[in-house]
Amino acid sequence: MSIEIKDIHFSYGKVKALEGVSLDLPQGAVGLLGPNGAGKSTLIRILLGFLSPDNGGGRVLGYDIKDEQTEIRRYVGYMPEDDCFIPGLDAVSFTSYLGELSGMPSQEAMKRAHEVLFYVGLKESRYRKLETYSSGMKQRLKLAQAIVHDPKLIFLDEPTSGLDPQGRSEILELIMDISSKKDIQVLISSHILPDIELTCKYVVILNKGKLAAQGDISELKEIRDLYEIKVKGEAGGFLRKLKAMKCKVEETEDEILKVYWPPKQNRQEIFRIAAEEKIQLRHFVKSETSLEDLFAQVVGVD
Amino acid sequence: MTIKEKGYSHWDGEFLARKFPWWPITRYGIKLTFQRKFFKFIFPMSLLPAIFYLAGIYVSERLEDFPFLRGETIQFLQIGPNYFKTYFTQGFMLFIMLMIVIFCGASLISDDLKHNSLQLYFSRPLKKKDYFLGKSAVIVFFLFIITLIPGLVFFIMKLIFSGSLKFFLSYPWLPLSIIGYSFIVTGFFSFYTLFLSSLSKNRRLVAILIFGVYFLSDIVYLIFRREFRSHYVSLVSLRSNLQQVGAHIFGQKAPYDVSWIFSFLVLLGICVVAGFVLKSKVKGVEIVK
Repeated sequence: MSIEIKDIHFSYGKVKALEGVSLDLPQGAVGLLGPNGAGKSTLIRILLGFLSPDNGGGRVLGYDIKDEQTEIRRYVGYMPEDDCFIPGLDAVSFTSYLGELSGMPSQEAMKRAHEVLFYVGLKESRYRKLETYSSGMKQRLKLAQAIVHDPKLIFLDEPTSGLDPQGRSEILELIMDISSKKDIQVLISSHILPDIELTCKYVVILNKGKLAAQGDISELKEIRDLYEIKVKGEAGGFLRKLKAMKCKVEETEDEILKVYWPPKQNRQEIFRIAAEEKIQLRHFVKSETSLEDLFAQVVGVD
Repeated sequence: MTIKEKGYSHWDGEFLARKFPWWPITRYGIKLTFQRKFFKFIFPMSLLPAIFYLAGIYVSERLEDFPFLRGETIQFLQIGPNYFKTYFTQGFMLFIMLMIVIFCGASLISDDLKHNSLQLYFSRPLKKKDYFLGKSAVIVFFLFIITLIPGLVFFIMKLIFSGSLKFFLSYPWLPLSIIGYSFIVTGFFSFYTLFLSSLSKNRRLVAILIFGVYFLSDIVYLIFRREFRSHYVSLVSLRSNLQQVGAHIFGQKAPYDVSWIFSFLVLLGICVVAGFVLKSKVKGVEIVK
Protein backbone atom coordinates (compact mmCIF):
# COMPACT_ATOMS: atom_id res chain seq x y z
CA MET A 1 0.00 0.00 0.00
CA SER A 2 1.31 3.46 -0.87
CA ILE A 3 -0.62 5.35 1.79
CA GLU A 4 -1.39 3.96 5.21
CA ILE A 5 -2.43 6.36 7.96
CA LYS A 6 -3.95 5.66 11.30
CA ASP A 7 -6.01 7.84 13.62
CA ILE A 8 -4.82 11.19 12.26
CA HIS A 9 -5.91 14.24 14.26
CA PHE A 10 -5.10 17.80 13.29
CA SER A 11 -6.35 21.18 14.51
CA TYR A 12 -5.85 24.75 13.38
CA GLY A 13 -5.96 26.31 16.85
CA LYS A 14 -9.40 25.44 18.20
CA VAL A 15 -10.76 24.34 14.84
CA LYS A 16 -10.53 20.60 14.37
CA ALA A 17 -9.62 19.88 10.75
CA LEU A 18 -9.16 16.11 10.97
CA GLU A 19 -10.45 13.75 13.64
CA GLY A 20 -9.30 10.16 13.74
CA VAL A 21 -8.88 9.60 10.01
CA SER A 22 -7.48 6.19 9.10
CA LEU A 23 -6.83 5.13 5.52
CA ASP A 24 -5.26 2.24 3.72
CA LEU A 25 -5.37 3.04 0.04
CA PRO A 26 -4.95 0.59 -2.83
CA GLN A 27 -2.90 1.13 -6.02
CA GLY A 28 -4.35 3.14 -8.90
CA ALA A 29 -6.35 6.33 -8.88
CA VAL A 30 -8.07 7.31 -5.66
CA GLY A 31 -10.58 10.15 -5.37
CA LEU A 32 -10.66 12.32 -2.29
CA LEU A 33 -14.04 13.94 -1.87
CA GLY A 34 -15.65 16.18 0.66
CA PRO A 35 -17.42 19.52 0.95
CA ASN A 36 -15.46 22.72 1.65
CA GLY A 37 -13.73 22.50 5.02
CA ALA A 38 -13.95 18.70 5.11
CA GLY A 39 -10.19 18.42 5.58
CA LYS A 40 -9.12 17.23 2.11
CA SER A 41 -6.33 19.76 1.61
CA THR A 42 -5.20 19.36 5.22
CA LEU A 43 -4.93 15.60 4.66
CA ILE A 44 -2.83 16.10 1.51
CA ARG A 45 -0.60 18.58 3.35
CA ILE A 46 -0.08 16.09 6.16
CA LEU A 47 0.78 13.35 3.67
CA LEU A 48 3.29 15.71 2.04
CA GLY A 49 4.78 16.68 5.39
CA PHE A 50 3.76 20.36 5.18
CA LEU A 51 1.85 19.84 8.40
CA SER A 52 2.58 17.46 11.25
CA PRO A 53 -0.43 15.66 12.74
CA ASP A 54 -1.31 16.34 16.38
CA ASN A 55 -1.99 12.66 16.91
CA GLY A 56 -1.69 9.50 14.89
CA GLY A 57 0.81 8.60 12.21
CA GLY A 58 1.33 6.67 9.07
CA ARG A 59 3.48 5.90 6.10
CA VAL A 60 3.54 7.14 2.53
CA LEU A 61 5.44 4.91 0.09
CA GLY A 62 6.83 3.17 3.15
CA TYR A 63 8.27 6.39 4.66
CA ASP A 64 7.08 7.76 7.97
CA ILE A 65 4.99 10.94 7.56
CA LYS A 66 6.49 12.53 10.67
CA ASP A 67 10.16 11.65 10.38
CA GLU A 68 10.90 10.99 6.71
CA GLN A 69 9.17 13.88 4.97
CA THR A 70 12.13 14.70 2.75
CA GLU A 71 12.24 11.14 1.39
CA ILE A 72 8.49 11.17 0.78
CA ARG A 73 8.79 14.37 -1.23
CA ARG A 74 11.49 12.93 -3.45
CA TYR A 75 9.08 10.28 -4.77
CA VAL A 76 5.85 12.26 -4.64
CA GLY A 77 4.51 14.78 -7.15
CA TYR A 78 2.20 17.55 -6.01
CA MET A 79 -0.10 19.66 -8.15
CA PRO A 80 -1.42 22.43 -5.89
CA GLU A 81 -4.87 23.93 -6.22
CA ASP A 82 -3.77 27.58 -6.34
CA ASP A 83 -2.02 29.24 -9.22
CA CYS A 84 1.67 29.05 -8.46
CA PHE A 85 4.73 29.77 -10.59
CA ILE A 86 8.09 31.46 -10.51
CA PRO A 87 8.05 34.76 -12.40
CA GLY A 88 10.72 35.45 -14.98
CA LEU A 89 11.05 31.82 -16.07
CA ASP A 90 9.71 30.12 -19.17
CA ALA A 91 7.95 26.76 -18.89
CA VAL A 92 11.04 24.71 -19.77
CA SER A 93 13.25 26.44 -17.22
CA PHE A 94 10.50 26.27 -14.59
CA THR A 95 9.84 22.56 -15.04
CA SER A 96 13.51 21.70 -15.29
CA TYR A 97 14.26 23.83 -12.19
CA LEU A 98 11.70 21.92 -10.14
CA GLY A 99 13.09 18.65 -11.51
CA GLU A 100 16.53 19.67 -10.31
CA LEU A 101 15.13 20.55 -6.90
CA SER A 102 13.74 17.02 -6.76
CA GLY A 103 17.27 15.72 -7.22
CA MET A 104 17.46 15.20 -10.99
CA PRO A 105 20.78 15.97 -12.70
CA SER A 106 20.63 19.32 -14.50
CA GLN A 107 20.84 18.05 -18.10
CA GLU A 108 18.40 15.21 -17.55
CA ALA A 109 15.97 17.58 -15.84
CA MET A 110 16.06 19.81 -18.91
CA LYS A 111 15.49 16.87 -21.27
CA ARG A 112 12.67 15.51 -19.16
CA ALA A 113 11.11 19.00 -18.88
CA HIS A 114 10.77 19.09 -22.67
CA GLU A 115 9.21 15.61 -22.63
CA VAL A 116 6.59 16.34 -19.99
CA LEU A 117 5.69 19.70 -21.55
CA PHE A 118 5.08 17.91 -24.85
CA TYR A 119 3.07 15.33 -22.94
CA VAL A 120 0.76 17.87 -21.25
CA GLY A 121 0.27 19.75 -24.52
CA LEU A 122 2.46 22.80 -23.94
CA LYS A 123 4.82 22.01 -26.79
CA GLU A 124 4.33 25.28 -28.68
CA SER A 125 4.39 27.58 -25.67
CA ARG A 126 7.19 26.05 -23.68
CA TYR A 127 9.53 29.00 -24.23
CA ARG A 128 6.95 31.62 -23.27
CA LYS A 129 7.27 33.48 -19.97
CA LEU A 130 4.90 32.03 -17.36
CA GLU A 131 3.38 35.46 -16.66
CA THR A 132 1.74 35.28 -20.10
CA TYR A 133 0.11 31.89 -19.55
CA SER A 134 -3.68 31.47 -19.41
CA SER A 135 -5.35 29.62 -16.49
CA GLY A 136 -5.67 26.46 -18.58
CA MET A 137 -1.99 26.55 -19.52
CA LYS A 138 -1.00 27.13 -15.91
CA GLN A 139 -3.05 24.10 -14.93
CA ARG A 140 -1.17 21.95 -17.47
CA LEU A 141 2.12 23.41 -16.31
CA LYS A 142 1.31 22.48 -12.72
CA LEU A 143 0.70 18.93 -13.88
CA ALA A 144 4.00 18.97 -15.80
CA GLN A 145 6.00 20.05 -12.75
CA ALA A 146 4.27 17.38 -10.67
CA ILE A 147 5.36 14.57 -13.00
CA VAL A 148 8.76 15.87 -14.17
CA HIS A 149 10.69 13.69 -11.69
CA ASP A 150 8.57 10.61 -12.50
CA PRO A 151 7.01 10.28 -9.02
CA LYS A 152 5.56 7.05 -7.68
CA LEU A 153 2.64 8.88 -6.11
CA ILE A 154 0.94 12.05 -7.36
CA PHE A 155 -1.32 14.31 -5.36
CA LEU A 156 -3.62 16.35 -7.57
CA ASP A 157 -5.53 19.08 -5.77
CA GLU A 158 -8.51 20.22 -7.88
CA PRO A 159 -6.73 19.43 -11.17
CA THR A 160 -9.57 20.60 -13.42
CA SER A 161 -10.62 23.77 -11.64
CA GLY A 162 -10.84 26.82 -13.90
CA LEU A 163 -10.69 24.81 -17.12
CA ASP A 164 -13.02 24.98 -20.09
CA PRO A 165 -14.79 21.70 -21.04
CA GLN A 166 -12.18 20.77 -23.65
CA GLY A 167 -9.26 21.56 -21.34
CA ARG A 168 -10.95 19.61 -18.58
CA SER A 169 -11.42 16.54 -20.71
CA GLU A 170 -7.79 16.70 -21.90
CA ILE A 171 -6.45 16.94 -18.35
CA LEU A 172 -8.68 14.04 -17.29
CA GLU A 173 -7.35 12.01 -20.21
CA LEU A 174 -3.79 12.70 -19.06
CA ILE A 175 -4.66 11.74 -15.49
CA MET A 176 -6.23 8.48 -16.67
CA ASP A 177 -3.18 7.77 -18.80
CA ILE A 178 -0.82 8.39 -15.88
CA SER A 179 -2.87 6.38 -13.42
CA SER A 180 -3.12 3.50 -15.89
CA LYS A 181 0.57 2.85 -15.22
CA LYS A 182 0.57 0.13 -12.63
CA ASP A 183 3.47 1.62 -10.69
CA ILE A 184 2.04 5.13 -10.26
CA GLN A 185 -0.63 5.95 -7.75
CA VAL A 186 -2.72 9.09 -8.10
CA LEU A 187 -4.71 10.76 -5.34
CA ILE A 188 -7.16 13.30 -6.73
CA SER A 189 -8.91 15.79 -4.54
CA SER A 190 -11.82 17.41 -6.34
CA HIS A 191 -15.21 18.98 -5.97
CA ILE A 192 -16.19 17.85 -9.43
CA LEU A 193 -17.76 14.46 -8.81
CA PRO A 194 -18.03 13.34 -12.44
CA ASP A 195 -14.24 13.86 -12.74
CA ILE A 196 -13.66 11.49 -9.84
CA GLU A 197 -16.18 9.00 -11.18
CA LEU A 198 -14.43 9.04 -14.55
CA THR A 199 -10.85 8.73 -13.32
CA CYS A 200 -11.01 6.74 -10.06
CA LYS A 201 -12.12 3.31 -8.97
CA TYR A 202 -11.65 3.96 -5.29
CA VAL A 203 -12.94 6.91 -3.32
CA VAL A 204 -12.44 8.43 0.11
CA ILE A 205 -15.12 10.79 1.38
CA LEU A 206 -14.35 13.18 4.21
CA ASN A 207 -16.94 15.19 6.06
CA LYS A 208 -16.27 17.67 8.86
CA GLY A 209 -12.79 16.25 9.38
CA LYS A 210 -14.01 12.68 9.72
CA LEU A 211 -13.90 9.76 7.35
CA ALA A 212 -17.46 9.45 6.03
CA ALA A 213 -16.88 6.57 3.61
CA GLN A 214 -14.16 4.81 1.68
CA GLY A 215 -14.11 1.96 -0.77
CA ASP A 216 -14.58 0.95 -4.39
CA ILE A 217 -17.02 3.34 -5.98
CA SER A 218 -19.04 0.48 -7.46
CA GLU A 219 -19.27 -1.27 -4.08
CA LEU A 220 -20.21 1.91 -2.24
CA LYS A 221 -22.99 2.55 -4.71
CA GLU A 222 -24.45 -0.83 -3.89
CA ILE A 223 -24.71 -0.14 -0.19
CA ARG A 224 -28.13 1.37 -0.63
CA ASP A 225 -30.66 1.01 -3.41
CA LEU A 226 -31.99 4.16 -4.92
CA TYR A 227 -35.61 4.35 -6.05
CA GLU A 228 -37.30 7.19 -7.85
CA ILE A 229 -40.93 7.50 -6.80
CA LYS A 230 -43.74 9.81 -7.86
CA VAL A 231 -46.82 9.91 -5.64
CA LYS A 232 -50.33 11.31 -5.85
CA GLY A 233 -51.92 12.57 -2.68
CA GLU A 234 -50.66 14.04 0.60
CA ALA A 235 -47.14 12.62 0.96
CA GLY A 236 -46.28 14.04 4.42
CA GLY A 237 -47.11 10.92 6.43
CA PHE A 238 -45.51 8.66 3.80
CA LEU A 239 -42.24 10.61 4.00
CA ARG A 240 -42.26 10.64 7.80
CA LYS A 241 -42.68 6.86 7.93
CA LEU A 242 -39.89 6.33 5.38
CA LYS A 243 -37.56 8.55 7.37
CA ALA A 244 -38.48 6.71 10.56
CA MET A 245 -37.12 3.57 8.88
CA LYS A 246 -33.73 5.37 8.54
CA CYS A 247 -34.31 5.82 4.89
CA LYS A 248 -32.97 9.02 3.29
CA VAL A 249 -35.46 10.81 1.04
CA GLU A 250 -34.80 13.75 -1.29
CA GLU A 251 -37.38 15.64 -3.27
CA THR A 252 -36.35 16.90 -6.70
CA GLU A 253 -37.65 19.99 -8.47
CA ASP A 254 -39.93 17.89 -10.72
CA GLU A 255 -41.59 16.34 -7.63
CA ILE A 256 -39.80 13.03 -7.85
CA LEU A 257 -38.83 11.46 -4.54
CA LYS A 258 -35.36 9.91 -4.47
CA VAL A 259 -35.48 7.20 -1.81
CA TYR A 260 -32.22 5.60 -0.61
CA TRP A 261 -33.46 2.23 0.59
CA PRO A 262 -31.32 0.12 2.96
CA PRO A 263 -30.53 -3.08 1.00
CA LYS A 264 -31.43 -5.55 3.75
CA GLN A 265 -34.98 -4.27 3.98
CA ASN A 266 -37.74 -5.54 1.78
CA ARG A 267 -38.82 -2.93 -0.77
CA GLN A 268 -42.40 -4.18 -0.47
CA GLU A 269 -42.45 -2.06 2.68
CA ILE A 270 -42.61 1.04 0.49
CA PHE A 271 -45.87 -0.16 -1.06
CA ARG A 272 -47.27 -1.13 2.34
CA ILE A 273 -46.58 2.34 3.77
CA ALA A 274 -48.10 3.97 0.70
CA ALA A 275 -51.25 1.87 1.17
CA GLU A 276 -51.36 2.78 4.86
CA GLU A 277 -51.10 6.46 4.02
CA LYS A 278 -53.63 6.10 1.24
CA ILE A 279 -51.50 7.57 -1.50
CA GLN A 280 -50.98 6.34 -5.03
CA LEU A 281 -47.55 5.42 -6.35
CA ARG A 282 -47.56 6.69 -9.91
CA HIS A 283 -43.93 6.04 -10.73
CA PHE A 284 -41.53 3.52 -9.14
CA VAL A 285 -38.14 2.98 -10.78
CA LYS A 286 -34.91 1.55 -9.40
CA SER A 287 -32.34 4.14 -10.29
CA GLU A 288 -28.61 3.88 -10.95
CA THR A 289 -26.80 5.45 -7.98
CA SER A 290 -24.34 8.05 -9.17
CA LEU A 291 -21.33 9.21 -7.20
CA GLU A 292 -23.25 12.42 -6.70
CA ASP A 293 -26.09 10.48 -5.02
CA LEU A 294 -23.60 8.60 -2.90
CA PHE A 295 -21.85 11.82 -1.92
CA ALA A 296 -25.15 13.52 -1.08
CA GLN A 297 -26.20 10.56 0.99
CA VAL A 298 -22.93 10.22 2.93
CA VAL A 299 -22.29 13.90 3.46
CA GLY A 300 -25.90 14.90 3.81
CA VAL A 301 -25.88 17.71 1.26
CA ASP A 302 -27.62 18.15 -2.09
CA MET B 1 4.20 10.32 -33.11
CA THR B 2 4.15 12.91 -30.32
CA ILE B 3 4.97 11.98 -26.78
CA LYS B 4 1.36 12.76 -25.82
CA GLU B 5 0.17 10.14 -28.30
CA LYS B 6 2.72 7.67 -26.98
CA GLY B 7 1.38 8.14 -23.46
CA TYR B 8 3.17 8.73 -20.21
CA SER B 9 6.75 7.57 -20.17
CA HIS B 10 8.96 6.93 -17.18
CA TRP B 11 12.27 8.66 -16.49
CA ASP B 12 14.99 6.05 -16.25
CA GLY B 13 17.66 8.22 -14.59
CA GLU B 14 18.93 8.21 -11.03
CA PHE B 15 18.38 10.94 -8.46
CA LEU B 16 21.54 12.71 -7.31
CA ALA B 17 22.48 12.64 -3.65
CA ARG B 18 23.32 16.37 -3.68
CA LYS B 19 25.59 17.64 -0.96
CA PHE B 20 24.12 21.10 -1.51
CA PRO B 21 20.44 20.64 -2.42
CA TRP B 22 20.05 24.43 -2.35
CA TRP B 23 22.43 24.99 -5.25
CA PRO B 24 19.74 25.03 -8.01
CA ILE B 25 17.92 27.80 -6.06
CA THR B 26 21.10 29.88 -6.06
CA ARG B 27 21.88 29.21 -9.72
CA TYR B 28 18.40 30.19 -10.88
CA GLY B 29 18.37 33.19 -8.51
CA ILE B 30 21.60 34.50 -10.04
CA LYS B 31 20.30 33.83 -13.55
CA LEU B 32 17.04 35.69 -12.87
CA THR B 33 18.90 38.63 -11.31
CA PHE B 34 21.07 39.03 -14.40
CA GLN B 35 17.88 39.13 -16.52
CA ARG B 36 16.82 42.39 -14.84
CA LYS B 37 17.45 45.46 -16.97
CA PHE B 38 18.45 47.82 -14.15
CA PHE B 39 20.74 45.25 -12.63
CA LYS B 40 22.66 44.99 -15.89
CA PHE B 41 23.45 48.67 -15.46
CA ILE B 42 23.95 48.75 -11.67
CA PHE B 43 26.22 45.72 -11.43
CA PRO B 44 29.09 47.00 -13.61
CA MET B 45 28.80 50.37 -11.80
CA SER B 46 29.25 48.59 -8.47
CA LEU B 47 32.67 47.39 -9.63
CA LEU B 48 33.96 50.93 -10.27
CA PRO B 49 35.14 51.58 -6.68
CA ALA B 50 37.09 48.30 -6.79
CA ILE B 51 38.72 49.33 -10.07
CA PHE B 52 39.51 52.75 -8.60
CA TYR B 53 41.11 51.25 -5.48
CA LEU B 54 43.02 48.73 -7.58
CA ALA B 55 44.38 51.59 -9.66
CA GLY B 56 45.35 53.29 -6.38
CA ILE B 57 47.43 50.26 -5.42
CA TYR B 58 49.20 50.37 -8.78
CA VAL B 59 49.85 54.11 -8.50
CA SER B 60 51.13 53.72 -4.92
CA GLU B 61 53.99 51.61 -6.27
CA ARG B 62 54.76 54.04 -9.13
CA LEU B 63 54.46 57.39 -7.39
CA GLU B 64 57.50 58.70 -9.25
CA ASP B 65 55.54 58.32 -12.51
CA PHE B 66 52.77 60.57 -11.14
CA PRO B 67 54.59 63.68 -9.92
CA PHE B 68 51.40 65.78 -9.96
CA LEU B 69 50.00 63.87 -6.97
CA ARG B 70 50.17 65.89 -3.77
CA GLY B 71 49.29 65.93 -0.05
CA GLU B 72 46.10 64.11 0.81
CA THR B 73 46.24 61.95 -2.31
CA ILE B 74 49.72 60.73 -1.39
CA GLN B 75 48.48 60.07 2.13
CA PHE B 76 45.48 58.14 0.79
CA LEU B 77 47.85 56.04 -1.33
CA GLN B 78 49.77 54.84 1.72
CA ILE B 79 48.60 51.26 1.31
CA GLY B 80 47.92 49.57 4.63
CA PRO B 81 44.98 48.26 6.65
CA ASN B 82 43.45 51.76 6.62
CA TYR B 83 43.27 51.67 2.80
CA PHE B 84 41.35 48.39 3.00
CA LYS B 85 39.15 49.64 5.83
CA THR B 86 38.30 52.74 3.81
CA TYR B 87 37.32 50.61 0.82
CA PHE B 88 35.11 48.30 2.84
CA THR B 89 33.43 50.72 5.25
CA GLN B 90 33.09 54.02 3.42
CA GLY B 91 29.49 55.19 3.21
CA PHE B 92 29.50 55.07 -0.60
CA MET B 93 30.61 51.43 -0.66
CA LEU B 94 27.91 50.47 1.84
CA PHE B 95 25.42 52.35 -0.33
CA ILE B 96 26.52 50.30 -3.36
CA MET B 97 26.07 47.10 -1.36
CA LEU B 98 22.59 48.32 -0.45
CA MET B 99 21.76 48.92 -4.11
CA ILE B 100 23.02 45.46 -5.04
CA VAL B 101 20.90 43.75 -2.38
CA ILE B 102 17.87 45.76 -3.45
CA PHE B 103 18.20 44.51 -7.01
CA CYS B 104 19.22 40.94 -6.27
CA GLY B 105 17.44 40.33 -2.98
CA ALA B 106 14.19 42.28 -2.70
CA SER B 107 12.21 39.77 -4.73
CA LEU B 108 13.85 36.61 -3.44
CA ILE B 109 11.08 35.69 -0.99
CA SER B 110 8.42 38.30 -1.79
CA ASP B 111 7.93 36.90 -5.32
CA ASP B 112 7.54 33.40 -3.91
CA LEU B 113 4.91 34.69 -1.50
CA LYS B 114 3.12 36.62 -4.25
CA HIS B 115 3.00 33.72 -6.68
CA ASN B 116 2.36 30.96 -4.07
CA SER B 117 5.54 29.19 -5.09
CA LEU B 118 6.71 28.25 -1.58
CA GLN B 119 4.55 25.13 -1.82
CA LEU B 120 6.40 24.18 -5.00
CA TYR B 121 9.75 24.38 -3.20
CA PHE B 122 8.57 22.54 -0.11
CA SER B 123 6.87 19.76 -2.05
CA ARG B 124 10.43 18.84 -3.14
CA PRO B 125 13.00 17.15 -0.93
CA LEU B 126 14.11 20.49 0.50
CA LYS B 127 14.25 21.68 4.08
CA LYS B 128 13.67 25.27 5.19
CA LYS B 129 17.39 25.50 5.80
CA ASP B 130 18.07 24.62 2.14
CA TYR B 131 15.59 27.21 0.93
CA PHE B 132 17.18 29.96 3.04
CA LEU B 133 20.71 28.90 2.10
CA GLY B 134 19.79 28.89 -1.59
CA LYS B 135 18.22 32.33 -1.42
CA SER B 136 20.91 33.91 0.77
CA ALA B 137 23.66 32.45 -1.44
CA VAL B 138 22.34 34.68 -4.26
CA ILE B 139 23.02 37.75 -2.11
CA VAL B 140 26.33 36.32 -0.90
CA PHE B 141 27.42 35.72 -4.51
CA PHE B 142 26.87 39.32 -5.59
CA LEU B 143 28.23 40.89 -2.40
CA PHE B 144 31.37 38.75 -2.47
CA ILE B 145 32.05 40.04 -5.97
CA ILE B 146 32.34 43.56 -4.57
CA THR B 147 33.82 42.75 -1.14
CA LEU B 148 35.74 39.53 -0.64
CA ILE B 149 37.07 39.12 -4.17
CA PRO B 150 38.30 42.72 -4.67
CA GLY B 151 39.74 42.70 -1.13
CA LEU B 152 41.83 39.61 -1.81
CA VAL B 153 42.73 40.85 -5.29
CA PHE B 154 43.97 44.17 -3.79
CA PHE B 155 46.17 42.24 -1.37
CA ILE B 156 47.62 39.97 -4.07
CA MET B 157 48.12 42.85 -6.51
CA LYS B 158 49.91 44.90 -3.84
CA LEU B 159 52.36 42.01 -3.43
CA ILE B 160 52.77 41.67 -7.20
CA PHE B 161 53.18 45.41 -7.86
CA SER B 162 55.65 45.82 -4.98
CA GLY B 163 57.58 42.72 -6.06
CA SER B 164 58.26 41.68 -2.46
CA LEU B 165 56.62 40.00 0.51
CA LYS B 166 57.24 43.01 2.76
CA PHE B 167 53.55 44.00 2.75
CA PHE B 168 52.49 40.46 3.68
CA LEU B 169 55.09 40.24 6.44
CA SER B 170 53.96 43.61 7.82
CA TYR B 171 50.27 42.69 7.85
CA PRO B 172 49.97 38.88 7.79
CA TRP B 173 46.53 39.10 9.41
CA LEU B 174 45.09 41.40 6.74
CA PRO B 175 43.69 38.58 4.48
CA LEU B 176 41.83 37.25 7.51
CA SER B 177 40.41 40.72 8.17
CA ILE B 178 39.26 40.94 4.56
CA ILE B 179 37.61 37.51 4.77
CA GLY B 180 36.15 38.20 8.23
CA TYR B 181 34.63 41.57 7.39
CA SER B 182 33.33 40.34 4.03
CA PHE B 183 31.53 37.52 5.82
CA ILE B 184 30.10 39.85 8.47
CA VAL B 185 28.84 42.52 6.06
CA THR B 186 27.50 39.90 3.62
CA GLY B 187 25.89 37.86 6.39
CA PHE B 188 24.23 40.95 7.82
CA PHE B 189 22.90 42.14 4.47
CA SER B 190 21.64 38.62 3.66
CA PHE B 191 19.59 38.37 6.84
CA TYR B 192 18.45 42.00 6.56
CA THR B 193 17.30 41.58 2.95
CA LEU B 194 15.62 38.18 3.31
CA PHE B 195 13.86 39.36 6.47
CA LEU B 196 12.39 42.41 4.71
CA SER B 197 11.65 40.35 1.60
CA SER B 198 9.54 37.98 3.68
CA LEU B 199 7.38 40.82 5.03
CA SER B 200 5.56 41.69 1.82
CA LYS B 201 4.37 40.16 -1.43
CA ASN B 202 5.24 43.40 -3.23
CA ARG B 203 8.88 43.51 -4.31
CA ARG B 204 8.80 47.29 -4.83
CA LEU B 205 7.63 47.82 -1.27
CA VAL B 206 10.43 45.50 -0.08
CA ALA B 207 12.98 47.53 -2.09
CA ILE B 208 11.69 50.71 -0.44
CA LEU B 209 11.91 49.04 2.98
CA ILE B 210 15.50 47.88 2.40
CA PHE B 211 16.48 51.38 1.37
CA GLY B 212 14.26 53.19 3.85
CA VAL B 213 15.12 51.27 7.01
CA TYR B 214 18.84 51.68 6.32
CA PHE B 215 18.64 55.44 5.82
CA LEU B 216 15.98 55.97 8.46
CA SER B 217 18.33 54.43 11.03
CA ASP B 218 20.95 56.97 9.94
CA ILE B 219 18.53 59.88 10.16
CA VAL B 220 17.37 58.79 13.62
CA TYR B 221 21.02 58.60 14.64
CA LEU B 222 21.70 62.16 13.44
CA ILE B 223 18.64 63.48 15.30
CA PHE B 224 19.58 61.65 18.49
CA ARG B 225 23.20 62.82 18.25
CA ARG B 226 22.07 66.45 18.24
CA GLU B 227 19.72 65.82 21.13
CA PHE B 228 21.85 63.64 23.38
CA ARG B 229 25.41 64.37 22.18
CA SER B 230 26.39 60.80 23.00
CA HIS B 231 28.38 58.41 20.83
CA TYR B 232 26.16 55.57 22.02
CA VAL B 233 23.33 56.79 19.82
CA SER B 234 25.45 55.61 16.86
CA LEU B 235 24.20 52.14 17.78
CA VAL B 236 20.83 52.93 16.15
CA SER B 237 22.49 53.48 12.78
CA LEU B 238 23.08 50.39 10.65
CA ARG B 239 25.81 52.19 8.70
CA SER B 240 27.61 53.31 11.87
CA ASN B 241 27.53 49.81 13.32
CA LEU B 242 28.97 48.30 10.14
CA GLN B 243 31.70 50.97 10.11
CA GLN B 244 32.47 50.49 13.79
CA VAL B 245 32.89 46.72 13.42
CA GLY B 246 34.89 47.20 10.20
CA ALA B 247 37.30 49.62 11.87
CA HIS B 248 37.97 47.10 14.63
CA ILE B 249 38.48 44.19 12.25
CA PHE B 250 41.01 46.16 10.19
CA GLY B 251 42.74 47.29 13.38
CA GLN B 252 41.92 50.97 12.90
CA LYS B 253 40.63 53.70 15.18
CA ALA B 254 36.86 53.39 15.58
CA PRO B 255 34.86 56.37 14.25
CA TYR B 256 32.70 56.46 17.41
CA ASP B 257 33.69 56.31 21.04
CA VAL B 258 31.70 53.13 21.65
CA SER B 259 32.97 49.58 22.03
CA TRP B 260 32.77 47.70 18.72
CA ILE B 261 31.28 44.79 20.68
CA PHE B 262 28.04 46.75 21.14
CA SER B 263 27.86 47.43 17.41
CA PHE B 264 28.56 43.79 16.67
CA LEU B 265 25.83 42.73 19.10
CA VAL B 266 23.32 45.10 17.46
CA LEU B 267 24.07 43.57 14.04
CA LEU B 268 23.93 40.07 15.48
CA GLY B 269 20.65 40.86 17.24
CA ILE B 270 19.11 42.02 13.97
CA CYS B 271 20.24 38.79 12.30
CA VAL B 272 18.77 36.66 15.10
CA VAL B 273 15.41 38.48 14.99
CA ALA B 274 15.44 38.19 11.19
CA GLY B 275 16.11 34.45 11.50
CA PHE B 276 13.13 33.95 13.80
CA VAL B 277 10.81 36.00 11.60
CA LEU B 278 11.95 34.14 8.48
CA LYS B 279 11.38 30.79 10.16
CA SER B 280 7.82 31.70 11.06
CA LYS B 281 6.94 33.51 7.80
CA VAL B 282 8.24 30.95 5.32
CA LYS B 283 5.99 27.88 5.25
CA GLY B 284 4.94 25.35 2.67
CA VAL B 285 1.33 26.27 3.25
CA GLU B 286 -0.43 29.44 4.20
CA ILE B 287 -2.78 28.58 7.02
CA VAL B 288 -5.84 30.76 7.31
CA LYS B 289 -7.23 30.35 10.83
